[in-house]
Amino acid sequence: MTLSYAPGDSLAHRLDPRSKLLVQAGFAAAAYAYTTPRGLAALTLLAVACLSFAEGGPRDVWTYRFAFPVLALAPLVAGATLGAPWFRPERAAATGLASYRVLLILVVAAGYVRSTPVRESRAALQRTVPGRAGQFLGVGVALVFRFLPLLKRDLLTAREAIRARGGGALPVRDRMRLVAVAGVNRAFGRADRLGTALNARCFAWNPTLPRLAFGRGDAVALAVGCGLLAAAVVRAL
Amino acid sequence: MATNTESVELVGDEAATNLARAALFAALVGAFAYVSFPFPLSPAPVTLQVLGVFLAGIYLGPVWGGAALAFYLLAGALGAPVFANGSAGVGVLVGSTAGYLWSYPIAAALVGAVVHRGTDLRDLDAVGVGTLVGATAAGVVVIYAFGVVGLAVVLPELTLAEAFVTGAAVFLPAEAAKVAAAVGVVRSDAIAAA
Repeated sequence: MTLSYAPGDSLAHRLDPRSKLLVQAGFAAAAYAYTTPRGLAALTLLAVACLSFAEGGPRDVWTYRFAFPVLALAPLVAGATLGAPWFRPERAAATGLASYRVLLILVVAAGYVRSTPVRESRAALQRTVPGRAGQFLGVGVALVFRFLPLLKRDLLTAREAIRARGGGALPVRDRMRLVAVAGVNRAFGRADRLGTALNARCFAWNPTLPRLAFGRGDAVALAVGCGLLAAAVVRAL
Repeated sequence: MATNTESVELVGDEAATNLARAALFAALVGAFAYVSFPFPLSPAPVTLQVLGVFLAGIYLGPVWGGAALAFYLLAGALGAPVFANGSAGVGVLVGSTAGYLWSYPIAAALVGAVVHRGTDLRDLDAVGVGTLVGATAAGVVVIYAFGVVGLAVVLPELTLAEAFVTGAAVFLPAEAAKVAAAVGVVRSDAIAAA
């Protein structure tokens, strides 16, 4: 299962993407500034609230499981020492808190991903980054979203074909090479057809984007985001 | 809908094709995150994103290769499931693997700059195996340096050595296989459109 946008009408779905991005930035800053048991306890409540406003749950957090082994192992490695006393609990505890704050930031990010469609993310990006740079990044991001599923399927097909021809017996580097060749050829083929099609259809830097507007809920979200950022700055000073 | 009333600014032919290639390569790196190989010694299956970084530098050059990986990071931050295990979101970019991810555009640009000796693309048939191995090995060094420092920044109690043991050492042998695979891809002349 992957984490992706889920259509809905929750509180988070109705917020402006820019205020959701601000809340994430504020939350990350606050988590780094207040890595204490009390600070993280308060932030845990906020993180769970953010995810539940987007109607998300533990299944969404589970997609980050690749990060779990390192986060779980780090406190043990930090606590272990060569020689007496062999294990220093205070270092392990500090690293455990640092690991936990990373998990909390991932929970809040999952709320954004669940509740924000690509078009809105792109519009937020182009309204935040001005001029040609924003337009360039917006086009690129939109194309990545569009073509990711196709290339995933291309690679899956290539792997099945390799396996069907007994490729499973090859060394790992040869299997990697065969998958990569298939993937790069498909990507170039699709890119060149896409480039021709874009030129033929008057591909423009300034297409029409969905309208973004701050609503009443955004006032609260913006206040939370600014408050978190301010709290982090106060702590840093 | 917000209607644009100013005149339409067309994207030039060459820019459109380069943009399409960079975006497709970014999507390919994302798709590589789903292709995992069990690898001896490695506790987690090895995915091919790093191979994608090498190939972006080699086939797109330093400028567009770097742009491709910037698209990849941004799309992932905005919710495309392109990071390991199909995860996404800003959180990953400040999490335990943040250093690795931030290094990708830089590594792709470096690999491209070494292979093409500058920003203009040259014919890959003229590039020797030694240059390819050197460029990709430099890419590995950059990626792991950023990755280890990133882990030590995110978890500040870890020393650099501990961060290396926790997050990098077990994955290094698999990188040798990816370097070999990247060189194999380029030398096999199997890429039609390069």
